[in-house]
Amino acid sequence: MGELINIFIKSAFIENLALAYFLGMCSYLAVSKSVKTAFGLGLAVIFVLGITMPINWMISTFLLSETGLFGIDLTFLRLILFIAVIASMVQLVEMVIEKYSPSLYNSLGIFLPLITVNCAILGGSLFMVAKEYNFAESVAFGLGGGFGWFLAIIGIAAIREKIRYSAVPPGLRGLGMAFILTGLMGMAFMSLMGIDPAAF
Amino acid sequence: MGLLNFLKKIEPDKKKSPVLHTLFDAIFTLAYSPATVTEGGVHVRDGMDLKRLMIHVVLALQLCFLFGTYNIGHQHFVAAGEYMGFLEGFHLKLVHGLIQLIPIVLVTMVVGLGIEIFFAARKGHAVEEGFIVSGMLIPLIMPPDIPLWILGVSVAFAVIIGKEAFGGTGMNIWNVALLARVFVFFAYPTTISGDQVWVSGYESLNPGVMADYGWAHGLFNGLFDLLNIDTFDAARTAVIDGYSGATPLALAYSGGWEAVTQNFSVSQMWWGTIPGSIGETSKPFIILGAIFLLLTKVASWRIMLSACIGAITMGLILNAWGATPFMDVPWYYQLYMGSFFFAIAFMATDPVTASTTNTGKWVYGFLIGFIGMIVRVMNPAYPEGWMLAILFLNTFSALIDHYVLESNISKRLQSA
Repeated sequence: MGELINIFIKSAFIENLALAYFLGMCSYLAVSKSVKTAFGLGLAVIFVLGITMPINWMISTFLLSETGLFGIDLTFLRLILFIAVIASMVQLVEMVIEKYSPSLYNSLGIFLPLITVNCAILGGSLFMVAKEYNFAESVAFGLGGGFGWFLAIIGIAAIREKIRYSAVPPGLRGLGMAFILTGLMGMAFMSLMGIDPAAF
Repeated sequence: MGLLNFLKKIEPDKKKSPVLHTLFDAIFTLAYSPATVTEGGVHVRDGMDLKRLMIHVVLALQLCFLFGTYNIGHQHFVAAGEYMGFLEGFHLKLVHGLIQLIPIVLVTMVVGLGIEIFFAARKGHAVEEGFIVSGMLIPLIMPPDIPLWILGVSVAFAVIIGKEAFGGTGMNIWNVALLARVFVFFAYPTTISGDQVWVSGYESLNPGVMADYGWAHGLFNGLFDLLNIDTFDAARTAVIDGYSGATPLALAYSGGWEAVTQNFSVSQMWWGTIPGSIGETSKPFIILGAIFLLLTKVASWRIMLSACIGAITMGLILNAWGATPFMDVPWYYQLYMGSFFFAIAFMATDPVTASTTNTGKWVYGFLIGFIGMIVRVMNPAYPEGWMLAILFLNTFSALIDHYVLESNISKRLQSA
């Protein structure tokens, strides 16, 4: 159990997908204009990461590896299969959100289906394979990574809401400022980088 | 009224030379309150404008400056094994401290204020005095021998990216002084970490040898000769055997509290005659400054108190955990080491970057104390945690405020 908590904390704070690896920047920059929509997207990312990670783990262990069902090394199919799983999960999330929160569905717009190509999700799955996690660890890694991304996007959304009233130079308004904010946030997140909870 | 007439006479034309006029305006409003008042409608009725507010912080920092000046010289001579006593060679210590400190303050002020005046002139504003406080804080959190060009670059980064990009004074999200320091920390790590950098004149490339004195020391030597008192001895070049220059934190990291007490006594750490950043070492003077800020209501007592609670909570947890020698350092001594007092009194309470709601301040302060202690003790990459913990919480102060407001709104809606 301690090991799982370590992985959760590490993937959420220390190896934050958005601010340490700068993954998922497209929707991170585009949907962070208000805390409310950022909150919704963040939850969707937590959900998709938390679901796809164990499914992808099963696929890569039971189908694609040499010890798997077919007995041959099928790892070259990994990317395609991972993307297919992610896309179908995103479809599911989309249907759920459309049914229960049409207003969030409208405000997320195109960025909801675009979670499919959110590199934080695919990157998370590939990290999971590279780090050779087992099933429970991959769940913890997925939820932790999603939580870290969620924290990063609502953090920047709150700052962007605040600086709406600042006298930002005209050339920097909008995306320019979002880039500067992301960089400085990454710097602040470096405070926790390098901690190894397992070392204690 | 001689000065007023003189200033009126030399006032440059605003259209022809905007930069000069901004500079003039800054000096003029520092010397005299402007006679023009807002007409129509009631605005701020207090005489406490931004300039007066900032001067309070600058005043609170003066004791730290005084002690920092002395301590630069003191550490320098302790490394050379001479004048170990507190008052021995007092004039030499003070002069050496001034020779190190004055260029640092000058570079910080010239670079920072220069950029501010340039931006103010471009925007057609009066110059915003926000940099006065940052410019006073930055020298205090730097090591005494920092190369001046690195200092200049870091100040430029902090002012342009950290402040002017956000629209100037009062709109920055991250503490400007800490951004300058964190920039040095990540861009030029060797100048701000390790055992050698905290002692003036200690050559890190050439351990055991003290750096040569410069021309300024020579000038003062002439003066001291005339007065017939001790001079800077040019032959004093060697560092005494066994001297490492390590700070209490570095010692605690490797050997726990025992290693610290072998080198420093608790009273030394309290009074501040230990190596460290220029202004962070002396706890009583920092506390006096903090009390002054609290009495004038410039700083928030909620943040200071909750940060102490957070640090103590984490200290107790670490004591109970006790996996490394550093974790076993008693929590009350943890507060003595490093820059806890300075960071909490002057950095965390910055009203611009902290949370603005009262509930938010409690959360913000507590998390600074909590995370700062985690970073200090558990992160091998960084010797001290407060700088990064405060920047980390600066990032989330807007979010904390947002949720405090949301919960207030929903509470009101429920009771309505």
